[in-house]
Amino acid sequence: MSVMSSPAKPTISKRDDVRPPRAAHSSLVGYGYWWWVLPALVLTGAVIYLATATGAFYAFTDWTGIGSYNFVGVSNFVKVFQNSQLLGALVNTVLLAVGFVVFTNVIGLLFALALNRTLKTRYVLRTLIFMPVVLSPIAVSYIWKFIFAYNGSLNQILGDVGLGSWRHDWLAVPKLALGCVLVVMVWQSIGFVAVVYLAGLATVPRELEEAAAIDGAGPWRRFRRITVPLIQPSLAIATTLTLIQGLRVFDQVMALTGGGPDNATQTLASEIYQQTFTYQEFGLGAAMALVLTVFILVCTIAQLTLTRDRT
Amino acid sequence: MITNAIRTRRWRWAASAAVVAVTGMSAAACSSASSGSGSGSEPQSITFAFNNPSGNEHYFQNAAAAYEKAHPGVTITTQVLPAESYAQAIATRIEGGNAPDVFEAESGSGQTDSIQPFAKAGELLPVTDPTVKAELTPASLSQFEYNGKIYAVSLGSAVNGIVYNDALAKSAGVNLTASSTFSDVMQACAAAKAKGKALFGLAGSVPVNTGILAAEIATSAVYGPDPNWDAQRAAGKATFAGTPGWATTLNSIVQLYKAGCFQPGAQGAGFDALTNGSAQGQLFGFFAPSGAAVDINTASGGHVHLVALPFPAPAGATYASVSSDVSIAGSAHTRSPKLVASFLAYLASPAGQKILSTGSGYFPVGTTSASALSPVYQPVASMITSRQYRNFPTIDWPNGKVYADLGSGVQGLLTGQTTVQQVLQQMDSDWTTP
Repeated sequence: MSVMSSPAKPTISKRDDVRPPRAAHSSLVGYGYWWWVLPALVLTGAVIYLATATGAFYAFTDWTGIGSYNFVGVSNFVKVFQNSQLLGALVNTVLLAVGFVVFTNVIGLLFALALNRTLKTRYVLRTLIFMPVVLSPIAVSYIWKFIFAYNGSLNQILGDVGLGSWRHDWLAVPKLALGCVLVVMVWQSIGFVAVVYLAGLATVPRELEEAAAIDGAGPWRRFRRITVPLIQPSLAIATTLTLIQGLRVFDQVMALTGGGPDNATQTLASEIYQQTFTYQEFGLGAAMALVLTVFILVCTIAQLTLTRDRT
Repeated sequence: MITNAIRTRRWRWAASAAVVAVTGMSAAACSSASSGSGSGSEPQSITFAFNNPSGNEHYFQNAAAAYEKAHPGVTITTQVLPAESYAQAIATRIEGGNAPDVFEAESGSGQTDSIQPFAKAGELLPVTDPTVKAELTPASLSQFEYNGKIYAVSLGSAVNGIVYNDALAKSAGVNLTASSTFSDVMQACAAAKAKGKALFGLAGSVPVNTGILAAEIATSAVYGPDPNWDAQRAAGKATFAGTPGWATTLNSIVQLYKAGCFQPGAQGAGFDALTNGSAQGQLFGFFAPSGAAVDINTASGGHVHLVALPFPAPAGATYASVSSDVSIAGSAHTRSPKLVASFLAYLASPAGQKILSTGSGYFPVGTTSASALSPVYQPVASMITSRQYRNFPTIDWPNGKVYADLGSGVQGLLTGQTTVQQVLQQMDSDWTTP
């Protein structure tokens, strides 16, 4: 009698059936991850969220920054929305943020496209364009302040090239002063945005563009139909970061104009500083800071929704 | 795999132990810090912060050095802060619990770095040395005390007026004296402009500079006829918007601006425009405490002889603006309260005052002796000795916002962003801010 031995079925233990081999110690590692992350969580909670919550608490008081305080309910928030100067700061903030997002991203993307593949000197040029990013915004702004000064180099150059009628007291004319702040912000951030877009452009396959070109697609169509969809993640990151940066602009305003002339270039962040430390209305400043936080949150969510990858 | 599991477990324990150790070390550090602050012997090293608009004011360093020399083992680290943002910087540091041990401040309550709000909040060290009180007159004592305790050392008195280069102006055919009228000023402006110069330099983007100009004019226009105007405002019997003298003050500034009395680009200029303009001989005077004149004269080594002039009244009699608001205070949270008290007492002593007054040109509060005045005050000596002056207005104002908005409001007038009535109404609104 022969015994037909059927191929032995692989015996799989119950443990192996439900968990792949690496899962045997994944719970240990997972448990360990929590211990590792705990100090960071505690620090983040204490330094960011607890501090924010404490600041939020003072938004409901009349604290001057020193001494005792009284609870005043929501009156600080009412002041924020009733004070025309504060509303002016809100408008300036939005104008700067929108201008910053648009100009920085458009110019940054153009630089990235120009420096992506073809130029032999692209590595040197990338370094030069990125260089302003590593400088201190305050230091950069003070240098630009000398350029924009009435006797500064901008007016001198305009005079030298026969454009004397274009000379202005750039930082003392309200609308021009706001534009000057925007120029400095954009100038310093183009390099950062260009680098983000260069990273995105590196993921666009050359073959795809070449195939489209063979099929007759022109440069603009290739850019719109191939490049833009493929760099969508970079677009989302760059616009989100520049929007946040634009909404919380402070350094450039303080160094260039101090919020002047006569508060014409105040932004929410500089206004918070002025109310809190110059006018010593800490409660009102805290309320404004909360409003700014919520405002940035809403704008960022809206912007992320608009630029998300729908493919 | 077992090895890996054991290793992972060891790491986990090591991480747990590290967390416990770090926590324990933090607690120990806190404990050690607490016990250290309560120890008997205090540190013999303190910080001393002040502002330095021209970069040449060395008398604070000189006073600190003299104290260190007289007290071996003591170290006073001076911190020179930018003048344009000094008040905010000090207020921010006090609010943040990071105040210098000793710092320059303003007496009274009307500026961002005024001592009385800080004293009220318990942020200042009371000064108990009798020499501090002895240098103050009964009239000025109230500016330095809160609830019966003195909280700062006075540097003495100064004239807030025009710091004027008389020799340079005369060489350009421009003549201005303490007895000049407002119309004389307008003529002098035209004469200076004809020579391609400016009679005055103005840092229009710096509220304390535009503010001091307004305060100088208001000294004659408002406080000349009514020395108790602040008390009336506090009692609700007067307002900025309802007082003709205040409107006259601001209208006069607009008039000066339109007449070209200030350097081109004045409305957006900073302190650097004053420094550069003066150094290049492009302007003949600027608005500042008289200490700036002494300072520049000293720094020039005798080549420059700036003097202090009162700003001529737009109408009626001219009064000099005299203040004794510049003072030195100590932080209540210093780890060296005895050392701070001793240093403040030294600054109030004859030896300390001699160093400070020699460097700053400040004169004893309430003096009627011309011999106590430096040559800088020669044009206004008779006004000081005959007490034809008024105190600097902001000292008794209730908060720093009124003066800050006066300063930025003047800039708004120069740029055409606002009106005189709007500025004054804003100041009235600020006055009632709690």
